Amino acid sequence: MPARSLADSTLDIAGVDFADLVRRYQSMVFSIAQHFLTETAAAEELAQDVFLQLHATLPTLKSEEHVKFWLRKVTAHRCIDFQRRRKLPQVSLDEAPEPMTPAQSSDPLVARRLQQFVASLPEKPRLIVILRYQEDMLPEDIAAVLAMPVATVKSHLQRSLALLRDKVTRTMGQVTI
Amino acid sequence: MTETNKNPNLLEDALRNAVRREDAPEGFVLKVLARAEQQNSAANDAQRTSWLSLFSQPALRWSAVAAVTIAMAIGTIYYRNLQRQRAEGEAAKQQLMLALRIAGSKLQLAKEKVNEINTSRPEPQPQNSSPRSRS
Repeated sequence: MPARSLADSTLDIAGVDFADLVRRYQSMVFSIAQHFLTETAAAEELAQDVFLQLHATLPTLKSEEHVKFWLRKVTAHRCIDFQRRRKLPQVSLDEAPEPMTPAQSSDPLVARRLQQFVASLPEKPRLIVILRYQEDMLPEDIAAVLAMPVATVKSHLQRSLALLRDKVTRTMGQVTI
Repeated sequence: MTETNKNPNLLEDALRNAVRREDAPEGFVLKVLARAEQQNSAANDAQRTSWLSLFSQPALRWSAVAAVTIAMAIGTIYYRNLQRQRAEGEAAKQQLMLALRIAGSKLQLAKEKVNEINTSRPEPQPQNSSPRSRS
């Protein structure tokens, strides 16, 4: 989210209960980590760490919009750090694990395969796809969270979509969504 | 050929469905709150023990003792000097008061003498005879 929007927000964070913030944003933070790492235990640990960091940083945050922006940003950076620290290999499509949570789509197979395809994307494009389609964020907002130019975000999105479309065609050519 | 391949919106919709938000594991909030509480108490303990732990090093402990001793000695000397100066000042003040009293009484005596002389002296007679009549 651009800095201007954060400053404009009138919500006062001083009276907000930390437990309430955890309840409200647990799904968001956990899901970003889960879709990025595709490992429930690691995703839970990372999400807990993010909220602990929020607990320490909360007095410096000015509004609830600021908290949301901060949570997305810290989660995204922690996901990348976590993967690099663990030296997790880049998952190839064939090696991508089955998603832990079964997709609840009209066609669970397609959703599950798409989760695998997303997990096989490189770090930054994967995060961009997750933020775009899980959080429904605009490229401008994703650019602010990941501290990168908007054009780069758009380019990653286009290439990722082309890649995913290609994978869908190659592996599920006979399946109709 | 899939429909998603033909229509980009379908692929995007399928992606939205695939990476939609999921519920956090059960008890997530409680775990976070417990860890936050633990973090708080650990931080408080660290704060309490951080300055005391300095004195666990012998060099620092003796330096602290020496610093306190020197400070106390300097304080005592300073306090005694102050007291001595005050006593000297008080004595000087007493002497000055005595001198002023003596000078005052001397002045009073002198004034009385002058008054006495003035009252005992006869009034001078007016001299109105001409030099011609005297001859």
